[in-house]
Amino acid sequence: MTKAIDLVRKNQTDTPGRWKASAEWRLKNRKWLRYSQEIALRALDKMEASGLTQKALAEKMGCSQQYVSLLLKGSENMTLETISKLETALEIDLIGQALGHDCAH
Amino acid sequence: MRFEDLLGDGRLWGTIFDGKEKDALSELFDKWEDLQWLKEFFETNWMDLKAYFKITDVNQAIYDTLDDADELRCLIFDIGPEDRPANLFRHLEDYRTYEMTLGREKTKGRATGISHPSWLRIYAIRLDQDAYLITGGAIKLTYKMEERSHTLEELHKMECVRNFLLENGAHDLDSFIEMNQEDDL
Repeated sequence: MTKAIDLVRKNQTDTPGRWKASAEWRLKNRKWLRYSQEIALRALDKMEASGLTQKALAEKMGCSQQYVSLLLKGSENMTLETISKLETALEIDLIGQALGHDCAH
Repeated sequence: MRFEDLLGDGRLWGTIFDGKEKDALSELFDKWEDLQWLKEFFETNWMDLKAYFKITDVNQAIYDTLDDADELRCLIFDIGPEDRPANLFRHLEDYRTYEMTLGREKTKGRATGISHPSWLRIYAIRLDQDAYLITGGAIKLTYKMEERSHTLEELHKMECVRNFLLENGAHDLDSFIEMNQEDDL
Protein backbone atom coordinates (compact mmCIF):
# COMPACT_ATOMS: atom_id res chain seq x y z
CA MET A 1 0.00 0.00 0.00
CA THR A 2 1.37 3.45 -0.87
CA LYS A 3 1.85 6.23 1.64
CA ALA A 4 -0.85 8.22 -0.12
CA ILE A 5 -3.46 5.52 0.40
CA ASP A 6 -2.31 5.09 3.99
CA LEU A 7 -2.87 8.78 4.61
CA VAL A 8 -6.29 8.78 2.93
CA ARG A 9 -7.35 5.78 5.01
CA LYS A 10 -6.22 7.51 8.21
CA ASN A 11 -8.49 10.45 7.39
CA GLN A 12 -11.48 8.53 6.08
CA THR A 13 -15.09 8.92 7.19
CA ASP A 14 -16.97 6.08 8.83
CA THR A 15 -19.55 5.97 6.02
CA PRO A 16 -17.91 3.95 3.20
CA GLY A 17 -19.99 3.20 0.13
CA ARG A 18 -22.44 6.06 0.69
CA TRP A 19 -22.00 7.36 -2.87
CA LYS A 20 -22.60 3.89 -4.31
CA ALA A 21 -25.81 3.50 -2.30
CA SER A 22 -27.02 6.89 -3.46
CA ALA A 23 -26.15 6.09 -7.09
CA GLU A 24 -28.01 2.80 -6.84
CA TRP A 25 -31.09 4.60 -5.54
CA ARG A 26 -30.98 7.10 -8.40
CA LEU A 27 -30.60 4.32 -10.96
CA LYS A 28 -33.56 2.43 -9.53
CA ASN A 29 -35.73 5.56 -9.48
CA ARG A 30 -34.49 6.93 -12.78
CA LYS A 31 -37.84 6.99 -14.56
CA TRP A 32 -39.88 9.10 -12.14
CA LEU A 33 -36.85 11.28 -11.41
CA ARG A 34 -36.76 12.20 -15.09
CA TYR A 35 -40.48 13.07 -14.96
CA SER A 36 -39.76 15.27 -11.95
CA GLN A 37 -36.91 16.95 -13.82
CA GLU A 38 -39.09 17.61 -16.87
CA ILE A 39 -41.83 19.11 -14.72
CA ALA A 40 -39.28 21.29 -12.90
CA LEU A 41 -37.84 22.57 -16.17
CA ARG A 42 -41.27 23.43 -17.60
CA ALA A 43 -42.14 25.20 -14.37
CA LEU A 44 -38.87 27.15 -14.41
CA ASP A 45 -39.45 28.18 -18.05
CA LYS A 46 -42.97 29.39 -17.29
CA MET A 47 -41.82 31.26 -14.18
CA GLU A 48 -39.12 32.97 -16.20
CA ALA A 49 -41.53 33.87 -19.01
CA SER A 50 -44.09 35.34 -16.65
CA GLY A 51 -41.64 36.90 -14.20
CA LEU A 52 -42.96 34.82 -11.31
CA THR A 53 -40.72 34.46 -8.26
CA GLN A 54 -40.46 31.35 -6.09
CA LYS A 55 -42.10 33.30 -3.27
CA ALA A 56 -45.07 34.24 -5.45
CA LEU A 57 -45.41 30.67 -6.71
CA ALA A 58 -45.35 29.38 -3.13
CA GLU A 59 -48.15 31.77 -2.21
CA LYS A 60 -50.22 30.67 -5.20
CA MET A 61 -49.71 27.02 -4.34
CA GLY A 62 -50.26 27.52 -0.64
CA CYS A 63 -46.97 25.99 0.39
CA SER A 64 -43.59 27.15 1.67
CA GLN A 65 -40.90 28.70 -0.52
CA GLN A 66 -38.53 25.98 0.67
CA TYR A 67 -40.84 23.33 -0.78
CA VAL A 68 -41.08 25.19 -4.09
CA SER A 69 -37.29 25.34 -4.20
CA LEU A 70 -37.20 21.57 -3.68
CA LEU A 71 -39.72 21.01 -6.49
CA LEU A 72 -37.69 23.15 -8.87
CA LYS A 73 -34.57 21.07 -8.30
CA GLY A 74 -36.33 18.18 -10.04
CA SER A 75 -35.71 15.44 -7.48
CA GLU A 76 -39.03 15.54 -5.64
CA ASN A 77 -41.53 12.70 -5.95
CA MET A 78 -44.58 14.93 -6.44
CA THR A 79 -48.09 13.79 -5.65
CA LEU A 80 -50.89 14.30 -8.16
CA GLU A 81 -52.21 16.99 -5.83
CA THR A 82 -48.91 18.88 -6.00
CA ILE A 83 -48.76 18.59 -9.79
CA SER A 84 -52.33 19.88 -10.05
CA LYS A 85 -51.52 22.83 -7.81
CA LEU A 86 -48.48 23.58 -9.93
CA GLU A 87 -50.57 23.42 -13.12
CA THR A 88 -53.16 25.80 -11.66
CA ALA A 89 -50.63 28.24 -10.21
CA LEU A 90 -48.61 28.45 -13.42
CA GLU A 91 -51.56 28.07 -15.80
CA ILE A 92 -49.81 25.32 -17.71
CA ASP A 93 -50.61 21.74 -18.58
CA LEU A 94 -48.19 19.18 -17.21
CA ILE A 95 -50.02 15.87 -17.27
CA GLY A 96 -53.65 16.79 -17.95
CA GLN A 97 -53.51 16.44 -21.73
CA ALA A 98 -51.59 13.19 -21.49
CA LEU A 99 -54.49 11.84 -19.45
CA GLY A 100 -57.07 13.21 -21.90
CA HIS A 101 -58.19 16.18 -19.84
CA ASP A 102 -58.39 19.84 -20.66
CA CYS A 103 -56.36 21.45 -17.90
CA ALA A 104 -58.25 24.71 -18.22
CA HIS A 105 -61.28 23.14 -16.58
CA MET B 1 -9.99 17.62 4.96
CA ARG B 2 -11.44 14.10 5.09
CA PHE B 3 -11.93 11.35 2.56
CA GLU B 4 -14.78 8.98 1.79
CA ASP B 5 -14.48 5.52 0.29
CA LEU B 6 -17.01 5.94 -2.52
CA LEU B 7 -17.47 2.36 -3.65
CA GLY B 8 -16.61 0.73 -0.34
CA ASP B 9 -13.61 -1.18 -1.72
CA GLY B 10 -10.81 1.36 -1.24
CA ARG B 11 -10.23 2.08 -4.92
CA LEU B 12 -12.18 5.27 -5.49
CA TRP B 13 -12.16 8.02 -2.91
CA GLY B 14 -13.92 11.37 -2.63
CA THR B 15 -12.56 14.45 -0.92
CA ILE B 16 -14.70 16.12 1.74
CA PHE B 17 -13.40 19.67 1.95
CA ASP B 18 -13.52 21.52 5.26
CA GLY B 19 -16.97 22.91 5.97
CA LYS B 20 -18.66 20.47 3.58
CA GLU B 21 -20.90 17.57 4.51
CA LYS B 22 -20.70 15.61 1.28
CA ASP B 23 -17.81 14.28 -0.75
CA ALA B 24 -16.82 16.05 -3.97
CA LEU B 25 -18.39 13.45 -6.29
CA SER B 26 -21.76 13.53 -4.51
CA GLU B 27 -21.75 17.33 -4.59
CA LEU B 28 -20.98 17.22 -8.29
CA PHE B 29 -23.84 14.90 -9.17
CA ASP B 30 -26.17 16.94 -6.93
CA LYS B 31 -25.44 19.94 -9.16
CA TRP B 32 -25.66 18.00 -12.41
CA GLU B 33 -29.20 16.88 -11.62
CA ASP B 34 -30.45 20.12 -10.05
CA LEU B 35 -32.61 21.76 -12.72
CA GLN B 36 -32.50 25.16 -11.11
CA TRP B 37 -28.71 25.09 -10.85
CA LEU B 38 -28.32 23.83 -14.42
CA LYS B 39 -30.63 26.47 -15.87
CA GLU B 40 -28.80 29.26 -14.07
CA PHE B 41 -25.40 27.85 -15.08
CA PHE B 42 -26.20 27.58 -18.78
CA GLU B 43 -27.93 30.96 -18.87
CA THR B 44 -24.83 32.50 -17.29
CA ASN B 45 -22.48 30.68 -19.67
CA TRP B 46 -24.64 30.67 -22.81
CA MET B 47 -22.02 32.56 -24.84
CA ASP B 48 -19.53 29.72 -24.30
CA LEU B 49 -22.24 27.22 -25.12
CA LYS B 50 -22.90 29.00 -28.40
CA ALA B 51 -19.27 29.72 -29.29
CA TYR B 52 -17.74 26.34 -28.48
CA PHE B 53 -20.65 23.93 -28.98
CA LYS B 54 -22.94 25.85 -31.37
CA ILE B 55 -25.87 25.28 -29.02
CA THR B 56 -28.35 28.10 -28.50
CA ASP B 57 -31.09 26.22 -26.68
CA VAL B 58 -30.43 26.17 -22.93
CA ASN B 59 -33.00 23.41 -22.41
CA GLN B 60 -31.17 21.18 -24.89
CA ALA B 61 -27.97 21.77 -22.93
CA ILE B 62 -29.78 20.82 -19.73
CA TYR B 63 -31.21 17.59 -21.15
CA ASP B 64 -27.83 16.65 -22.64
CA THR B 65 -26.23 17.20 -19.23
CA LEU B 66 -28.84 15.06 -17.46
CA ASP B 67 -28.35 12.20 -19.94
CA ASP B 68 -24.57 12.42 -19.88
CA ALA B 69 -24.44 12.60 -16.07
CA ASP B 70 -26.68 9.52 -15.85
CA GLU B 71 -24.30 7.62 -18.10
CA LEU B 72 -21.23 8.75 -16.18
CA ARG B 73 -22.83 7.72 -12.91
CA CYS B 74 -23.52 4.25 -14.37
CA LEU B 75 -19.90 3.93 -15.53
CA ILE B 76 -18.58 4.65 -12.04
CA PHE B 77 -21.25 2.54 -10.35
CA ASP B 78 -20.43 -0.40 -12.60
CA ILE B 79 -16.73 -0.53 -11.71
CA GLY B 80 -16.55 -4.16 -10.63
CA PRO B 81 -13.94 -5.98 -8.57
CA GLU B 82 -12.16 -7.07 -11.76
CA ASP B 83 -12.22 -3.64 -13.38
CA ARG B 84 -9.51 -1.05 -12.97
CA PRO B 85 -10.54 2.52 -12.09
CA ALA B 86 -7.46 3.52 -14.09
CA ASN B 87 -9.38 2.66 -17.26
CA LEU B 88 -11.79 5.44 -16.42
CA PHE B 89 -9.19 8.18 -15.99
CA ARG B 90 -6.54 9.82 -18.14
CA HIS B 91 -3.89 12.42 -17.40
CA LEU B 92 -5.12 15.97 -16.97
CA GLU B 93 -2.10 17.22 -18.90
CA ASP B 94 -2.52 15.96 -22.46
CA TYR B 95 1.25 16.11 -23.02
CA ARG B 96 2.11 13.83 -20.07
CA THR B 97 2.88 10.31 -21.24
CA TYR B 98 4.12 8.76 -17.99
CA GLU B 99 2.36 7.66 -14.83
CA MET B 100 3.22 9.38 -11.59
CA THR B 101 2.15 9.22 -7.97
CA LEU B 102 -0.28 11.98 -7.08
CA GLY B 103 -0.71 12.85 -10.76
CA ARG B 104 -3.66 14.99 -11.77
CA GLU B 105 -6.24 13.00 -13.70
CA LYS B 106 -9.60 13.52 -15.36
CA THR B 107 -12.48 11.60 -16.81
CA LYS B 108 -15.09 12.86 -19.25
CA GLY B 109 -18.70 12.08 -19.92
CA ARG B 110 -19.17 9.66 -22.80
CA ALA B 111 -21.86 11.68 -24.59
CA THR B 112 -23.55 8.61 -26.05
CA GLY B 113 -26.53 9.72 -28.11
CA ILE B 114 -25.59 13.37 -27.75
CA SER B 115 -24.69 15.39 -30.82
CA HIS B 116 -21.59 17.03 -29.34
CA PRO B 117 -18.56 16.08 -27.22
CA SER B 118 -19.19 15.83 -23.50
CA TRP B 119 -18.60 18.89 -21.33
CA LEU B 120 -18.73 16.94 -18.07
CA ARG B 121 -15.44 16.48 -16.26
CA ILE B 122 -14.47 14.71 -13.05
CA TYR B 123 -11.05 15.54 -11.62
CA ALA B 124 -8.96 13.29 -9.43
CA ILE B 125 -5.54 12.66 -7.92
CA ARG B 126 -3.97 9.30 -8.67
CA LEU B 127 -3.03 7.64 -5.39
CA ASP B 128 -1.57 4.52 -7.01
CA GLN B 129 -2.18 2.40 -10.08
CA ASP B 130 -5.56 1.26 -8.83
CA ALA B 131 -6.74 4.03 -6.51
CA TYR B 132 -7.97 7.53 -7.28
CA LEU B 133 -9.09 10.42 -5.11
CA ILE B 134 -11.78 12.63 -6.65
CA THR B 135 -11.38 16.33 -5.91
CA GLY B 136 -14.29 17.73 -7.93
CA GLY B 137 -15.50 18.29 -11.43
CA ALA B 138 -17.10 20.79 -13.73
CA ILE B 139 -19.09 21.57 -16.83
CA LYS B 140 -16.19 22.62 -19.03
CA LEU B 141 -17.33 24.69 -21.99
CA THR B 142 -14.01 26.32 -22.88
CA TYR B 143 -10.73 24.98 -24.24
CA LYS B 144 -8.60 25.70 -21.18
CA MET B 145 -9.55 25.37 -17.52
CA GLU B 146 -7.90 28.71 -16.78
CA GLU B 147 -10.40 30.53 -19.00
CA ARG B 148 -13.31 30.45 -16.55
CA SER B 149 -13.42 30.89 -12.80
CA HIS B 150 -15.43 27.74 -12.11
CA THR B 151 -12.91 25.50 -13.90
CA LEU B 152 -9.94 27.44 -12.55
CA GLU B 153 -11.30 26.74 -9.08
CA GLU B 154 -11.11 23.01 -9.84
CA LEU B 155 -7.39 23.37 -10.56
CA HIS B 156 -6.99 25.07 -7.19
CA LYS B 157 -8.94 22.29 -5.46
CA MET B 158 -6.72 19.65 -7.05
CA GLU B 159 -3.63 21.53 -5.94
CA CYS B 160 -5.04 21.96 -2.45
CA VAL B 161 -5.63 18.21 -2.07
CA ARG B 162 -2.28 17.36 -3.60
CA ASN B 163 -0.54 19.76 -1.21
CA PHE B 164 -2.39 18.23 1.74
CA LEU B 165 -1.14 14.80 0.75
CA LEU B 166 2.41 16.02 0.15
CA GLU B 167 2.59 18.01 3.38
CA ASN B 168 1.45 14.97 5.29
CA GLY B 169 4.13 12.76 3.84
CA ALA B 170 2.18 10.91 1.17
CA HIS B 171 5.06 10.62 -1.26
CA ASP B 172 8.28 8.75 -1.69
CA LEU B 173 11.51 9.96 -3.29
CA ASP B 174 10.73 8.62 -6.78
CA SER B 175 7.37 10.30 -7.07
CA PHE B 176 8.80 13.53 -5.67
CA ILE B 177 11.39 13.62 -8.47
CA GLU B 178 8.71 12.91 -11.08
CA MET B 179 6.56 15.74 -9.77
CA ASN B 180 9.41 18.22 -9.95
CA GLN B 181 10.05 17.17 -13.53
CA GLU B 182 6.43 17.86 -14.35
CA ASP B 183 6.59 21.30 -12.75
CA ASP B 184 9.55 22.15 -14.99
CA LEU B 185 7.57 21.47 -18.17
